[in-house]
Amino acid sequence: MKSFNHFNAKSVREAVTLLKDHKGKAMVIAGGTDLIGILKDRILPSYPEAIINIKTIPGLDVIEESTAGLKVGALAKLADIAKSQKVEKKFGVLAEAAKSVGTPNLRNMATIGGNLCQDVRCWYYRYPHHMGGRVICRRKGKGTCYAIKGDNRYNAILGAKSCFAVCPSDTAIALSALDAKIKIAGGDGTRSVSISDFFTPLGNSLNQDELVTEVRIPNPPQGCRQRFLKFTLRESVDFAIVSVASVITIKGGVCRDIRIVLGGVAPMPLRAKGAEHVIKGKPLNSATAEDAARAAVSSTKPLSRNAYKIEITKVLVKRAILSEGR
Amino acid sequence: MKGKRSDEEKKIKLVVNGHRYELRVGGEAHEVDPSHTLVYTLRETLGLTGTKIGCDRGSCGSCSVLMDGKPILSCLTLTVECDGKSITTIEGLRDPTTGNLEPLQQAFIDKSAFQCGFCTPGMIMTAKALLEEKPSPTEEEVRDALSGNYCRCMSHYQVVEAVLTAAKKGEDSNA
Amino acid sequence: MPDGYRFIGKPTARRDALEIVTGKADFIDDLKLPNMLYGKVLRSPYPHANIKTIDTKRAESVLGVEAILTYRNVPDWIGGTPRHVKVLDRKVRFVGDAVALIAAENEQIAEEAIELIAVDYELLQAVYDVEEAVMPGAPQLYEEFPGNLIPAGFPGFGPKNLHELVFGDVEKGFREADFISEGTYAYDTVPNPLPIEPPGVIARWEGPDKLTIWSATQSPSWHRFVMLPKMGFPEIRSISTHCGGSYGSKNYAFLPCFYAAALAKKTGRPVKVYYSKEEHFGAFALRPGTRFKGTVGIKKDGTVTALSGELFVETGAFSDTSQAQVAVALGEVQLMLRCPNWNLRTKLVCTNRNPSGIVRGFGGQEFESALFPILTEAMQQADLDPVDFFKKNYVSPGDGYFWRDGEWYVNRGQDYSEAIDRGAQTFGWKEKWKGWLKPTAVNGTKRIGVGVSVHGNADVGEDVSEAYVRLTPDARVTIHVCVSEAGMGQRSSLCKMVAEVFQIPIERVGVTPADTLVNPFEFGLVGSRGTYALGSAVIAASEDARQDLLKRAAPLLGATPEELETKDGKVYVKEEPSRSLSWSRTIGIARTCTGFGRFEPDYSVPNFIMVFVEVEVDVETGKVDLLQVVPATDVGQIIDPLALGGQLHGCLGSAGMDTALFEETVLDRSTGRIVNLNMLDYKWRTFRELPKFRNVILETPISTHRFKAIGVGEITTSPGPGAILMAVSNAIGVRLTEYPLTPDKILKALGKIGE
Repeated sequence: MKSFNHFNAKSVREAVTLLKDHKGKAMVIAGGTDLIGILKDRILPSYPEAIINIKTIPGLDVIEESTAGLKVGALAKLADIAKSQKVEKKFGVLAEAAKSVGTPNLRNMATIGGNLCQDVRCWYYRYPHHMGGRVICRRKGKGTCYAIKGDNRYNAILGAKSCFAVCPSDTAIALSALDAKIKIAGGDGTRSVSISDFFTPLGNSLNQDELVTEVRIPNPPQGCRQRFLKFTLRESVDFAIVSVASVITIKGGVCRDIRIVLGGVAPMPLRAKGAEHVIKGKPLNSATAEDAARAAVSSTKPLSRNAYKIEITKVLVKRAILSEGR
Repeated sequence: MKGKRSDEEKKIKLVVNGHRYELRVGGEAHEVDPSHTLVYTLRETLGLTGTKIGCDRGSCGSCSVLMDGKPILSCLTLTVECDGKSITTIEGLRDPTTGNLEPLQQAFIDKSAFQCGFCTPGMIMTAKALLEEKPSPTEEEVRDALSGNYCRCMSHYQVVEAVLTAAKKGEDSNA
Repeated sequence: MPDGYRFIGKPTARRDALEIVTGKADFIDDLKLPNMLYGKVLRSPYPHANIKTIDTKRAESVLGVEAILTYRNVPDWIGGTPRHVKVLDRKVRFVGDAVALIAAENEQIAEEAIELIAVDYELLQAVYDVEEAVMPGAPQLYEEFPGNLIPAGFPGFGPKNLHELVFGDVEKGFREADFISEGTYAYDTVPNPLPIEPPGVIARWEGPDKLTIWSATQSPSWHRFVMLPKMGFPEIRSISTHCGGSYGSKNYAFLPCFYAAALAKKTGRPVKVYYSKEEHFGAFALRPGTRFKGTVGIKKDGTVTALSGELFVETGAFSDTSQAQVAVALGEVQLMLRCPNWNLRTKLVCTNRNPSGIVRGFGGQEFESALFPILTEAMQQADLDPVDFFKKNYVSPGDGYFWRDGEWYVNRGQDYSEAIDRGAQTFGWKEKWKGWLKPTAVNGTKRIGVGVSVHGNADVGEDVSEAYVRLTPDARVTIHVCVSEAGMGQRSSLCKMVAEVFQIPIERVGVTPADTLVNPFEFGLVGSRGTYALGSAVIAASEDARQDLLKRAAPLLGATPEELETKDGKVYVKEEPSRSLSWSRTIGIARTCTGFGRFEPDYSVPNFIMVFVEVEVDVETGKVDLLQVVPATDVGQIIDPLALGGQLHGCLGSAGMDTALFEETVLDRSTGRIVNLNMLDYKWRTFRELPKFRNVILETPISTHRFKAIGVGEITTSPGPGAILMAVSNAIGVRLTEYPLTPDKILKALGKIGE
């Protein structure tokens, strides 16, 4: 691929300074499993002058328990999250989501920060430059969205306006169900955003000089059931066609608390608030689960080829509600 | 912090198959450009062509090597980020003194666990890491571990047999 | 199945096993020649356009760029059938079509310089649909092909080569039918065989008219004898490196060969053109697309009385071997269906997409998959068990058929009924088959269905093979046969055959490099001909050399050659084994014993495979899982059980049955781009999706050669798509006819998608 300057940041501050100094012409590399492909295919209109390696920043890969919940450093590898006892114990939906990403060897490199910050997979957006030129689309700054009139079988059915690519991050869906917050460091200091605020229709909410440093997950309700269901054509490699993450608490035979998040269907993780509303306070059975499932897709706007996702979303919501979970 | 870096940082120290290399960062043929991936360095700079590039995008597993014992995708790894790392490639499995094959390699031969052989180095390295971590894997664990390795000739069934055979031989020799 | 064989039929380690498991096998990209340059291709953004201007000045001035070629200065070599494919043209005919070639010191420089080539295009309308392409007013891809109809006929198959099948009396046939089925169906997602290794070629001119080509190929001779006329007859030496999978597609790589050779000629240095995976998807061999409008008539007992129709074969932006595939498809359908009355016409059409090439199945898989819904509908009307139908209709010994050269052949091969019965038994067909559109089992939201189909090919004995065998006094044998290793293990299997003839350890038998310079003519490894055709040539050469050996030993042992035998490097008198002589004493140190063997084409012994599949469909999500596969065949004599097993497992690869499940090339017609040009979006089977797989392999000696064996590797993929279509239809009780059966199609068929 085309060359670039490379920096090994030794601290978050150094990384932020490097980003600031490069004025948008630098990109951060963690596991590299998304970025390297983007660079090789030259899908973006401009190529970075510099790559800033944050793997050399110590302490960013921790998985730490506290009384409040779990802290997962941005550099924590998906393989480690998937098999971590600390995650498995109370945050099982995150372990399941991390385990479902890509392939085993990829998970040895990929980080949770990278998984959250990875770019979308829309195949127009990702079209390789050396096969006739990259596609310049709405998401890249100008033009139309090619998915609208094209083959949009994997694109969004909900919550999309100018760009119909879906949020590709499995961990984002699980973290949203866990009501996690993303900690960001930048030139103006640190800030914390909810998962849903992190994703925007045309990218994420990071400023030019910011990077994700950790994820903070509050303790989920005692005794809750957690589930991550990912619908794919293959059991490995694939991104979610549709996914659902749920955290459900049952007390006295009825649903006391529930968070259901949809993945693969929108540009951001989407709380299925309609479904949650339907089932809260009710017992979990086929009938209520099906009602909830219907409510989850009540306002979908499918494109020409992705209406099938509606049905699959309903099925996953229903199955998430009915299954044993963790 | 742009600007001057010490000479120390312009060298990448790698151990590959037990050999120590010190590669200079730069644009000459024998040097490492920041954009060079590990698989490129292994193949082109160090002449270790046993590791293969299938898709060059991390989706096929052909480029799998061990880094500090863990199987990773060398086509998605920048060489300049491998300073201080220990890499094992397919060439590093054979005993350098006796030439003896690892049981896993022998099992692949005995079970004919390949057809065209292009995916084989990646398969063997991934399987080797599995057996190091789980000396007696179940068939399902073998399939899971190899689920990111592409084989179009469909050697899969024979590969699974070979890995389980090698595991059993390991068991027997430890018994 | 004689137990008497020392090597044949027993598993033996591949001769190249050690190289492969130690990473020492040299594939094309492992090869670097001194002074070598890297060639790259600038590719078209448009599906159909004229090049108005092209300015390479800036690119040429980049340090490290040695040559840039455009349509203006490429050699006037020409490929395709008929000849219509230039090295570079002033017109581009698919997104990804070559616009310019660049040779540079390294790939990075080539990629940077390519960015600096400025091209101005005049956009033209594009056409993708095969029937639209032949309508008046459709955009014309080639001036010489009005209506986008590429001339039928593959001259290489002789003057009567098949491009239509018209014989008997279809009117009469349809009158005699009890059931008639007709419709229009397609198998046209043009999937990619997708070997892991992309295609690559290194070209070096040894002189103004002398070219050496190194490449990853399945048939090294093609870069010689097929390229010679395309390139104005230079002297070509073709060498194949170890080939990382081919499945037909890398029999040769004529465009990469053109590019590398053109750049090498211009620069005077060797040039490597090695495709990226994206180029492999977007600018290299796909399956042809087929659409069949046809009618079939059958009697209630399953006899096929008539078949008529029009077969549209869509070959993308050019045709190279597509006419040959039409010819073989027309032959193969007669093997599948014994029918006296045919009226089958074909049209070969070009469209604005990445051109088709050779893929395992070679036109027959495509046609049969498009024909399948018509056949099964007829079977369903007659309420026939498909296994019985296929058993009744597969060509029997004594039956005749027209093969690809238009000649009539009488089948002198096998009856495959027992293979069918054993396959059905192993699979449990009788218990699992519940009738048309009926599931085998229902478990909650999951439904199980079963399906079956067949395929066969009379090309197992196609074309010519020649071999020399050379015996040296140190009791070693070298086979001179131009065969590369692309996964079928033929280089090793041939050594095994020779070892058996000479009764000498396999380690003492070797094969020359896959190099046309040091070997006689060898057509190549296609159509499963390795076992029969190459085997025959190599066995004949061995027997010839053996005769020479025995003739030399005879006077020295005081016996006649007929009284002698050889084993483990010694010639001995059969009746008195202690009377023996070593090879070195027999031959003498300063001499070689040689033999020559040649195989003449034989299209009279079709092979056969029947594939049974069991699927599970989740009727809520539309997901289809493949649970079980049982291929059933009869190979006469197994040469190597592990190699054969691998070939049968191969039905899950090479754009085979998975093209009915999740595998397809996605061509976006709004932009003309193939949008799944990568290994995430192009779907392939992983280790986590391995179905239960049991091979049923009979060994009924077949009259081919000394070992009575026949090959089957090439045919294993073809029954898959149809069998899956049947199985999934049965599982959900709805007749499905479109490939692939992705969840959206299943859900739609179940009425779960509101339109």
